Amino acid sequence: MKSPPSLEDLIGIEYSKLGFFREAQEKIAQLHASTLELERRRQQIQAILDGITDVMAVITPEGRITSVNRVFYEVFGGSSPIGRACYNVFRGSDRFCDPCPATIAYETNRLCRQEHILTLQNKTRHFEITASPLRDPQGRPCHILLLKRDVTLEREYQAKLNHAEKMSAVGLLAAGVAHEINNPLTAILGFVQAIRKRLPEVRDRLPQEFRSTLEEYTEIITDECARCQEIVQGLLSFSRPYTGATTAVDLNQCVQETVRLVRHRFREFPGLQYAQELDAKLPPIQGEPSQIKQLLLNLLLNALDALPNGHGAVRVRTFVRNDHEVCLEVQDTGCGIERESLGKIFAPFFTTKPVGRGTGMGLSMCYSIAQAHNASIEVESEPHKGSTFRVVFGLMP
Amino acid sequence: MDITKFSIPEIIFGRGALKYAGLCAKRLGAEKPMVVSDPGLREAGWVSRLFDVLAGEGMEWCYFEDVVSNPRDFQVAHGALFYAQHQADVIIALGGGSPMDAAKGIAVVVGNGGSIHDYEGANRIHRPLPPMVFLPSTAGSGSDISQFAIITDTRRRLKMTIVSRTLVPNISIIDPNILTTKPRHLVLAAAVDALAHAIESYVSIIASPFTELQSLKAIEMISIYLPLAAREPSLEILEALSIASTAAGMAFSNASLGADHALAHSLGGTFDILHGEVHSVLLPAVMRYNLEAALPKMAQIGRILTGKNIRHERKAAEAGIQSLENLFASLEMKHRLRDVVPDASHLPELCRMAASDACLLTNPRSATWMDLLKICEEVW
Repeated sequence: MKSPPSLEDLIGIEYSKLGFFREAQEKIAQLHASTLELERRRQQIQAILDGITDVMAVITPEGRITSVNRVFYEVFGGSSPIGRACYNVFRGSDRFCDPCPATIAYETNRLCRQEHILTLQNKTRHFEITASPLRDPQGRPCHILLLKRDVTLEREYQAKLNHAEKMSAVGLLAAGVAHEINNPLTAILGFVQAIRKRLPEVRDRLPQEFRSTLEEYTEIITDECARCQEIVQGLLSFSRPYTGATTAVDLNQCVQETVRLVRHRFREFPGLQYAQELDAKLPPIQGEPSQIKQLLLNLLLNALDALPNGHGAVRVRTFVRNDHEVCLEVQDTGCGIERESLGKIFAPFFTTKPVGRGTGMGLSMCYSIAQAHNASIEVESEPHKGSTFRVVFGLMP
Repeated sequence: MDITKFSIPEIIFGRGALKYAGLCAKRLGAEKPMVVSDPGLREAGWVSRLFDVLAGEGMEWCYFEDVVSNPRDFQVAHGALFYAQHQADVIIALGGGSPMDAAKGIAVVVGNGGSIHDYEGANRIHRPLPPMVFLPSTAGSGSDISQFAIITDTRRRLKMTIVSRTLVPNISIIDPNILTTKPRHLVLAAAVDALAHAIESYVSIIASPFTELQSLKAIEMISIYLPLAAREPSLEILEALSIASTAAGMAFSNASLGADHALAHSLGGTFDILHGEVHSVLLPAVMRYNLEAALPKMAQIGRILTGKNIRHERKAAEAGIQSLENLFASLEMKHRLRDVVPDASHLPELCRMAASDACLLTNPRSATWMDLLKICEEVW
């Protein structure tokens, strides 16, 4: 039961007409606090959005841009795109793209991915576009979020990797072919040698001229067969899978065998002066011969490619340095390497060669081979003068 | 003298003051006020006049007239719902005590939630109310001035008294023009109510010089203009009654009332009698009951009512009461309780209810329910 009112209640000195002042003060304080909190959250979300490295844009179903992130300005530059049509801003077109990922996402209420190649500031850029519908509280799409990721580098790497894989398949094929050729070659050689063995028996019965011609021909066949065998052996030794087993390796022999393999390419360079200085007293090193030959092959091919118009000198040297370092050096007088590229030459897929010529894998492979041998690669290069690649092995333990 | 308090709303008084209703509401922040009135005033054209004023200020409004004489608790609840549905702001009441008290009840529920029963008693309202602009259409209830609201509890069949300084409206706009369309008997009933306010607040035990001044002025003016109004309610006379009623309102809002109103509230709650009609029956009897306890003041009232400078206090007081009875008789007002209440069997229960009414607190002579019953039986 409520207590009955008293006289003091009726006089009500302590009670006044209640105003909204305090309520308003409290509301203002609450609003202020919630505004601060909202601002803090907004900044947090903005930081997250700014942290996204993709171009981000929110567009209406009609294709009008309502907001973009910081990266947009970095990639597309220029003035604010707010209110402009997306196809105009992104592709400089005056009508919707066909197919339009945003429209598909809006109509299906599902994520839509697309790739698009675009020329921006004279550079071809490859974009992966993701359009996802932004839904209202009822789950109906009301806006579309566009994410554009620059995948130019990834796509380039992908292409190079594909090429390298193709090349390695060709190499494998070559090894198989070499193996197949080896048998008939042995037969040819065997029969030629048999002919040459039988030749003295019939020598007297043959006309002089025919006999000397036959002798000369069979000798040529023998020599050429031997050459074929060397090449086949070389190819086979390259394709032999890396076992990890190391032996004592004579670097000079590696050089000779590798040079034999690329000698045919020397003929493509009429202006080439090839020289080799091999230290006859070179101590052996611990290693895997096929790997070292691969390393040297790559360095040699690079040296040849560096020669402008095929003119210049290439020199291969082996020598001992500081009594405990065994060096294998390939020097050319080619185009050299630009200073800014010098740091990147061992990175996979880095290449300065024209498209289709280099995979960007050569030096990277050299680097990993050297690492496996506890060797280091020293590079000295000056643009337009030439480069020197020096692989430094340790002595055999 | 004890520490006292005197509070009244802003008062705008004068013929045609209605035209300031829109401006006043706007000053209080109105964009869409809720207008509370009754069918009578609508039919008389005052509601549409008010709408014109609001439209002149470029305001929208919503209109609520589900109000009857002795406003009910459920009507207050409906009104509060209506206010919320229409997203109204300022509450404008145009009418007599009923629409104004209903508007107060609606304002309480709108500003504080719950039901109006939660606020019965004194100073139970703890949150601000929407701004209120009141335009009284009677010279009597004083609700446009007072800190009281009387709402009928339909379940308990009694009138709840709600007391709070925050029930004083922000602005009271008193336009005597509005009184001109009132039926004669309502004008008279209201004036008698105002007279009862003036007399009871004058003898109240918490009356102060500030309220006494207003009470005496009101008694004097009503005793002069009530008979005149009965003959020819001219605008001048209605204006005078408005001034008197406003003065009485200022007095009773701050000094409260007495036994007459305590009984009137319980009668009105039980039988739905027009509030102004019970005073002609009860007021003289209550004055007699109080006579000894407030003799000097009763004598003062007697001198004013009779217009004679009677020296002897008791004689003056008694002459005053007699003069009052004569006045009521000349106005052909009811003077026996049996003319008002259908059946005497309810009287004890009714008096028990009145004994707990807040108005009885300030009666100059304390009264038990038995005392009240005796008064009722006297006038049966």
